Amino acid sequence: MAHYDYIEKAVKVSRREFIGIVGVAGAILWTGAYVATDLVQDRTKYIKLRAQGIYNDDVKAKVRQSHNNQAVTDVYKKFAQNPLSNLAEELFHTKYVDRTKLV
Amino acid sequence: MSQHDEHGPRVLKHPLISRLFHWGLILGFLPAALTGFFIWLKPFGESLQNVIMQIHIVGACILTLSCIIYTIFALDRVVAFTRRIFTWDSRDMAWMKVCGGYPQKMLLGKTIPVPPMGKMNSGQKQMGIMMLFGGILLVVTGWALYAFLPVAPKAAMYWFDMVHLVVGIVLGVSVFAHIFLGIYNWGEFLCMFGDGTQPLHEAEHHNPVWVENEIEPVKGSNITTPGQQQPG
Repeated sequence: MAHYDYIEKAVKVSRREFIGIVGVAGAILWTGAYVATDLVQDRTKYIKLRAQGIYNDDVKAKVRQSHNNQAVTDVYKKFAQNPLSNLAEELFHTKYVDRTKLV
Repeated sequence: MSQHDEHGPRVLKHPLISRLFHWGLILGFLPAALTGFFIWLKPFGESLQNVIMQIHIVGACILTLSCIIYTIFALDRVVAFTRRIFTWDSRDMAWMKVCGGYPQKMLLGKTIPVPPMGKMNSGQKQMGIMMLFGGILLVVTGWALYAFLPVAPKAAMYWFDMVHLVVGIVLGVSVFAHIFLGIYNWGEFLCMFGDGTQPLHEAEHHNPVWVENEIEPVKGSNITTPGQQQPG
């Protein structure tokens, strides 16, 4: 247990200071919450629009499978050897990230 | 014989909640600052860099929670600190002209007269202003980068990243100076990491204006006026 003979005089927080601190903290929190909500709403809207655009493109597309896509087969023929080749894996394969929970 | 008896009357300089907050800064800011430099310079492989990022985030959580809890439960301490760092007068100008006498003392071994200071000297006030604004900027930009990097406007995130980096470097380097001076001033080190008390004569030497105007005897103590007691 600390033993001491002197202590700092109590600091009185004036009403003006208290309102100032609460006001600034409130403004920062409210602005942050507003920006965060706005960003999440925008993100959700863009994800939905993007998904809908891809489905729309898919409906209109004549070729719907990548192995029937002439551009893809050309890439393998002229450059990446064959599907699942080492070069193809190095260049094209990405890690799967589940984003279904974002919407 | 107790430490109290050996050194005469003592003054409580750092109350428990301030010392706990200081521990929060040590456990939060220090790991976040060290890992921040590694995240910036990327000296390690991918998996170790990921672990370092996790430590950075845990440090940020401790730092942020410490600041919020201290502001709520020790608002008077926050107000006192804010008043002190923004209170400047001619003594501060004179103190800064001689850099508090530290270069002369450390490099030349000479002790020169230094203007009397309150609880914080002018260098500590500058550090306090940097910590207050820099800390708020670091916390806000850090959490914004953590939460909104993939979805926020790229230009905004670029500037948040730049502010986080530059402020982090400045505060990260400053904190090493703070540690050095804290250890150099051994009495202050013992006070902050001990029970928060300091012999009155030591406080009178470093913080005469504070002792003169801002402290009072503990209720029930037979000591009446600061400065009248002779060190034991």
